[in-house]
This record gives sequence, structure tokens and C-alpha cells, in this order.
Amino acid sequence: MALFEPDFLTRLEYLSIISKRVFRGSLLAQRRTMQLGSGIEFSDHREYTLGDDFRYLDWNVYARLGDLLLKRFQEEQDLHVYLMLDCSRSMAAGSPAKFDLARRLVAALAYIALADLDRVCVLAFAGTVVDEFPLSRGKARILPLMRFLESQQVTGEDTDLGHSVQGLLHRSQRSGIAVVVSDLFDERGYQLGLDQLRYRRFDSHVLQLHAPEEADPAHLGDVELVDVETGSVRKVTVTEKNLRTYTTLFRQHQSSVREYCRRYALGCTQSPSTVPFDELILRMMREAGMGG
Amino acid sequence: MAFATPLAFALAALAVPVVVFYILKVRLRRVPVSTNLFWKQIFDEKPPRSLWQYLRHVLSLLAQLLLVTLLVLAVADPYFSWQLLQARRIVAVIDNSASMRADDGESSRFDAAIDAALATVDGLRFRDEMAIVLAGSEPEVVVGMSGHAPTLKRALRSIEISDNSTDLKPAIDLGKRLVAEHPHGQVLVFTDGCRKKAEENNAEPDAAVSYRVFGSADAGNVGITRFQVRRSLIDPLGYEVLVAVRNASSHPVKGRLELELAGSPVDILPLDLSPEGVFARSLEKTSLEGGTLTASLTELQIADDDQEDEPSEASKPETDRKRVINSLATDDRAWAVLPARAIQNVLLITEGNLFLQKVFEANPLVRVTVQAEFPDKWPADGIVVLHRKVPEMLPPGQVFVVDPSGDCDAWKLGQPIRDPIVTEQDEASTLMTHVRLDNVVMPKARALTFTNPPHALASVLSGEAVYAEVKRERGKCLVLTVDINEGDLAFRTAFPIMVANTLGWFNGQTGELRQALPTGSIAEVELADDAETEESAFVLHNPSGDSQPLPVHRRAAAHEASNGDEEAGAIAESSAYLAVPPLNKCGVWSVARAASGEGESPLAELAVNLASDAESDLRTPAELITKPTNHLAASWFSRPLWYYLAAAACLLALVEWVLHQRRVLT
Repeated sequence: MALFEPDFLTRLEYLSIISKRVFRGSLLAQRRTMQLGSGIEFSDHREYTLGDDFRYLDWNVYARLGDLLLKRFQEEQDLHVYLMLDCSRSMAAGSPAKFDLARRLVAALAYIALADLDRVCVLAFAGTVVDEFPLSRGKARILPLMRFLESQQVTGEDTDLGHSVQGLLHRSQRSGIAVVVSDLFDERGYQLGLDQLRYRRFDSHVLQLHAPEEADPAHLGDVELVDVETGSVRKVTVTEKNLRTYTTLFRQHQSSVREYCRRYALGCTQSPSTVPFDELILRMMREAGMGG
Repeated sequence: MAFATPLAFALAALAVPVVVFYILKVRLRRVPVSTNLFWKQIFDEKPPRSLWQYLRHVLSLLAQLLLVTLLVLAVADPYFSWQLLQARRIVAVIDNSASMRADDGESSRFDAAIDAALATVDGLRFRDEMAIVLAGSEPEVVVGMSGHAPTLKRALRSIEISDNSTDLKPAIDLGKRLVAEHPHGQVLVFTDGCRKKAEENNAEPDAAVSYRVFGSADAGNVGITRFQVRRSLIDPLGYEVLVAVRNASSHPVKGRLELELAGSPVDILPLDLSPEGVFARSLEKTSLEGGTLTASLTELQIADDDQEDEPSEASKPETDRKRVINSLATDDRAWAVLPARAIQNVLLITEGNLFLQKVFEANPLVRVTVQAEFPDKWPADGIVVLHRKVPEMLPPGQVFVVDPSGDCDAWKLGQPIRDPIVTEQDEASTLMTHVRLDNVVMPKARALTFTNPPHALASVLSGEAVYAEVKRERGKCLVLTVDINEGDLAFRTAFPIMVANTLGWFNGQTGELRQALPTGSIAEVELADDAETEESAFVLHNPSGDSQPLPVHRRAAAHEASNGDEEAGAIAESSAYLAVPPLNKCGVWSVARAASGEGESPLAELAVNLASDAESDLRTPAELITKPTNHLAASWFSRPLWYYLAAAACLLALVEWVLHQRRVLT
């Protein structure tokens, strides 16, 4: 099955409209910066000082009170949206594969951002950034972006979010919104990468995906566990007790991600790979809206 | 050691697929996982024990191979030679007599005996065999030699208790024959403690016979040990009752003996029986209708004076007091059948003979009509008595000819008999019951030449019959060739008895005494010559109302010609009768036609009573009572080897399952 079906763009457009209607001002573009500047929305007054532009003097106040006050406006600024796509081999797990859902999610988020005239950058990463779709603006860039996503393959030997985020930070000096779409199976710890985003004041959101069999494995008995990323083999006898322990550890991992995001005010959406992407996008927007 | 089915060793080939599957199994399945992140935490925290890790598969293979080996051995059915040599052959003789109904223990003696027999079955060892014989009126093999415990138990549980008297000897003899010369043969008799039986057992010690005796030494009982009724020989309406009650307890007992005839009270007799006392009484009563006479013991209690002497008895509960004086209810009632009397019409054709007329008129059951001439039409029922006057053709029906003076179709009159002294009479005939005619002079008796050979009832010295039953097709006929007016027959006591027998014979009564039978008896019911003799035409109803068909049997009887003509040979006759099987329940049994309606009277009624002194005495010498034994220990090792092998295989399967669980689930 093709990654992007013929009606994919139609569904993206629908998501874009929905996002504007329901979550206006709470996501991605149309966010006002804290900087005052040449916007059109009045903010406040300040006293006139030498050298200020006469055009911004408030003549009505001068006529009533005799004071020279300068009108200040809130400056509107484009957002930079960085979408980090996990391309490690572990993303191939599941049916449908986590990687397919991740690419659809990235495409959807990118479309919504491009439709709001924001700048979008997609970074494919595993051990490090393995590919990049540079910062782009305008809905016309959606098709190249989709081709970019289609061309991506699971690769790399290991997931290293920290190293990959460093690659992002090297590329962009300006902060913005960073959305990490990954399973977060990082043996070094997912916190390393998210911490760096946080330090650099990125407005971060985590989209954590997992396959159902990862949450609830069923292989009992004597097996060889092969790590798809590292290729390491481990001969073990999996008992029901082991499975119960695994499930507990997996849940602990998931809840630790949620706890981390809650503590540092990061957006967090966790989902199995079987959920349709548009439903997941809506859920993500809803959670972000509630959080904002 | 030998094997019953060595062919089963071919099943050892099952080890091959076990090994193949083992080899296939140790090649581990590869499972790709997204990350080893969590598995590392699981297995690094609790590393497997190395010895177990290395041996677990080998142990599993060994367990499976051992499992196959045990199963193959179990199917091969091994046994030791000593098992064949020491196998026992047991015959259990179960006493289901009436005394086993006694409830002097926690349960009845019969239940205790069955429980003990079941315990013996549980104690059977492999290759032991057991047969079960029921000690009824006729010993019955309930189940033949078998080592199959469920079959033996089913057979034991199917045994029903009866009201029969105990007769162990035939059953024990049968058991000995079943055991034969087996070196480990044993006859186990499960019986109760009737004193007589216990003494009998002691008197005949036999190593191969052992007894399990149930009962108690203080089980007293008061029972009716005899009960009979018969019609009076003197009074046509009267009857005589013989009743005996025995107190087989160590306490004096008071009570009542109630007699009822067809549901109506006849008499109530107070009983005051000393220990071991017997109340025996003969009573005379009258009844025309007859019916079922019932005797019942009621209100039995320990005599007051004895209670005063032994206050402890009075303080005992009612059930215990009943146990010491009346532990058995079967002999508290007895039954007897009193035949009804019927009015008979007698047409006496005589020119005048008061002897003859009065002997019939003296019987209150007879309605006599005297005529001098033959009637225009002979009566359809009743008896025609012809005195001297004889028509050429004897009338149909029942005819009694006295002192014939002429010929008829049945005989030709001959010359007077010289020296007509009766020297021989048919003692077996009901016509001659209580009649003694020996040396009675029959003056003017005349010889008759019969058309058909008669049945001579009384004959003189020369062999001539002076009193005979004439064989003819048109009805019963008797002829007495005696001149009543001459000689002393009319003055003899035998004469009215002979006439009474004649009336009874014409009326179809085979005898005045319908004897009450002891339980376990068999009986025969004679069928009339004209009776329907089809198979399944008759049924036997037991006192409970259940019925069973009665087959019709035929008996060939040979009567030699009375005239001594050897060439005439014997006339073979075939009489039909019903053979009644053992009557094993007290009460009144009845034989009836299968197609009979509600109101129709039965063909015969048979009263059956326990009526046994030995059976009513329930006391068992304490030293004979069997102590309860524990057969449970024996049952642990009573199984064949294959059973233990299979059990071991099951255990091993459990072990392998645990090993599997240890590998997979724990």
C-alpha cells in the first residue's frame, strides 16, 4: 500500500481547516511573539523619545492631554517548526509499521504548518540526523516534502535522540516548535535529547508510537531475542512471569515519558501504531489545546 | 516377571518421535524485537541458574522417554509369578434371611453385612477372584468368579433382603464347590447372629469357611412362630386356629395377640410371656365366608414387675427398649387363609332312607330336596344322590349313587360280593381323608362291571370296588355299592365324614387345610381339567401387589385299570398345574388368571409366614460377633502392576509439566 493515498491531501486539508477552527491561536502559526514591532495589533504606549518615528505618535492623546505618547504594536512573526522523524530500525515494527504512521503524522503536521505560512523543517534521525528537508514555507512545498518522506527508509544501528537533537541545534540557531515523532527506545535515554530542546527554549512536543506487540509480547518459551537495531542476539527462556515483568517495565517506560513531559510542560501524545493518523493528529491538537 | 501382552513393547517406537521432536525443539525460535531495553532489565536482574540452564532440556527429554517407557510397560501388563501362585479365590455367602432385617445396631444387620462384603471387595488383591452366593431358600450365584471390583460391588448392592429362613448349608456347600481345590480358596459367610445358626457354625469348623457375624447379644425378639387355620372336621361352619408366640428375649414381655378375619376382629388374647416363654393356643371359631386370617402382636412391652426390678430398663429410650424385646417386625404378623363354605343343593332320589337323608340334612351347608321319582329335568347345579334307583343314562353333572339296583351307561350290576369286608382304601384320595373303612362289613354289596375303569376308593378282599369314582365325560360321579340299611356303616363316625368329603369333592375343595407356608417354600396349584392352560394365562401376585407370570406345567399320571386287566395297560392322563416359585415375602400371595377383573376371586391364595423359632431368636453370642476390620490398608496394594506404572506415568507427566512450567511459565 502506498504511504500517501490519493485522498491523503484531502484529509490533510480537512485537518488544516479543523485545526484553524477549533484550535485557532493555540498551535503552530499565528502565534504572536513577545516582541513588539511593526505589527498591526495595538499593544500599549510609551513616551516619545528623540528619534522615534512620528508616524506612531498618538495624536489623539496629544490633543486631549498634551502628552507625546508613542503607540506600540505587537509584532507577528513566522514560527519555525522542526519535525524530527525517527528512522531507526525499531520503527519498522508493528502492522502497520510505526514508521509509516510516523511519516503520515509528519506529513500532516507539516501541511498544517505550511498552510499557516509557518516554516517547516523535517529531520530524519536514527543515531544522528540522517536526512533533512530544509526549512520551507508555503503549501506548495507539501508535495516535495511528501516525496522526501516517501524516500525515507528505516536505517541506522541505534537510536540516539541526544545526538540527533544536537544535529538539529547545529542547523538552526532559531528556536521554534520541535515535534519528535519516535518510539523513544533510546538506550542512552530519551531525556538527553528532550533536555537539549528544552534548554534551547524549543516548544517541544513528543509523539511516541509503539506497536501493540511491543506493549504486550506473546513469545513464550525458549527463544532467541534479536535486537533489530543492534542485531545482538540474546538466548532466553521467556516465561509468563517474564512477560508480566516486561509489560510492567514497558508501562513504566511509557509513564516515565508522560511524567517527564508533564513536568517540563512538553506536549506528549502516546499511541499504538494501529490508530489512524488523522485521529491521532486531532487527539494531539486537543491535548495541546487543553495544555495551552 | 512376565508380561500379559508383550506385543505392547512395539509401542516403544514412540520414543523415536519423542527424540525427533526434542531435537527440533532445542533449535530456538528467533524473535526479532524492537529493543532489548526491557529484556535486559529482566534477565540481567535474575540470571538463570547455570546448572538448570544446561540440564533442563536433557531432563525434559529423559522425563519424556521415561514416560513412554512407563506407558509401554503398563500396556504390556507385567506381573510376578508369585501373584499367580498366591491369588485367592473367595466365595462370599450373603445371608439375606429375615433375621438380617433386625435393626439392633446402627444399621440393619443386612446393611452391615453388605458393607463388610464391599470392604472385602475393596481388599481384593490383583488376580484375586471372588464370587457372590446368596443363601436363599435355594442358593443362588449372584455373580461368578470375577476380579472386577465394580461388577462385584454392583452385584452386592443389587441383593435384596428376603423374609426367608436361614439355610446357609446349601450355599456354603455351593461356595466350597466354587472354591474347589484352590490352595487359597476361602468361603466367607456374611450372616447374622441367630443363636441356632451360630451354634451350627461352631459345630462344623472348617478351615476354608469363615464367618462374619453381625448382631448383638441383647437383641431380643417376640415373634409368632406358628400360625395355621383349618376348617373343623366336625362343625361345617367352624374352624380351628393354631397359634404360637415365642419370647426370645431375656425380659418378661406383655402384649396382645389380635386376630382378624377379613378385616374384622375375631379375638384379642393377652400375652404375658416370661423370658424364653412360649404362648401356644388352639382356638375354635366359626365363619361361613372364610377369608384371610391375620394375627398381630401389639402393645409389646417389658412387664411392669420386671421394670420395677430393673429400673435401668425403664429409663432407657423407647428405641432401646424396643430393641431388647422386639428387634424384628417381620414375625410380628402372620397370615392364614380360611376357605369359604358354600351352600350346596342336594337332590336325593330315594323311596325313603332316613340314614341317607339325615346325614345330608345334618350338614348346615347343604340344602336337601327329597324326591321318590326322577325329575323331568335334572338340575343344572348341585348334587344328585341316587339311592337304589338308577336311570339307564346317568344324569350329567355331579352324581352320587348309593346302593345301585340296576344297570346304567356307566356300569352293569353284578352278583353280590361274598365276604364284603373292606380291606383296602385309597389313603391319598381327599375323598378318604379321616375315613377309616378297614374291616367294615358292607352287606349286600354288589359287584359292578364298569364301562370305564374306575378309581377305586375302597375295595374288598376279592378286589371288587365297593366305593369308586366313575370315570365319565359328563361330570363327576361316585358310586357306593352298600346297602345303608344293612351293616354298620351308617353307625360309624366315618359315614358322615365320608359324606362331608364327598360334598367337598363335588364342590372342588381339595382339602380343608390350606396350610400357611413358611417363607422360601415352593408350591403347586392344581388346575381344573377344563381350565385354560395357555402360557402366561396365570399370574402370581405377591403381598406388595407386584405380579409375575406363572408358567403352566403338565404332569403325566398313570392309573392302572382297576379290574386288574394288565393288557388294558395304563391310561395316561395329563393334569395341568402351576409351579409357584419360592415365596420369599411374608403375607398372602394369590394366583389369579391374567385376564381376571377386579372383583374376580383368585384361583388360589397362599399365606406365607416366617414361622421359625431359629429365625425369631436374634441373640448372638458376643464372642461370635465379628469385630470391624480395616480393609483400607489392603486396598492400597491391591492393584495390578500396570496400575502403578500408569500412576507413575501420570506422576511423571506432572513432573514434565512442572518442568515445562518452570521453563515457560514461572
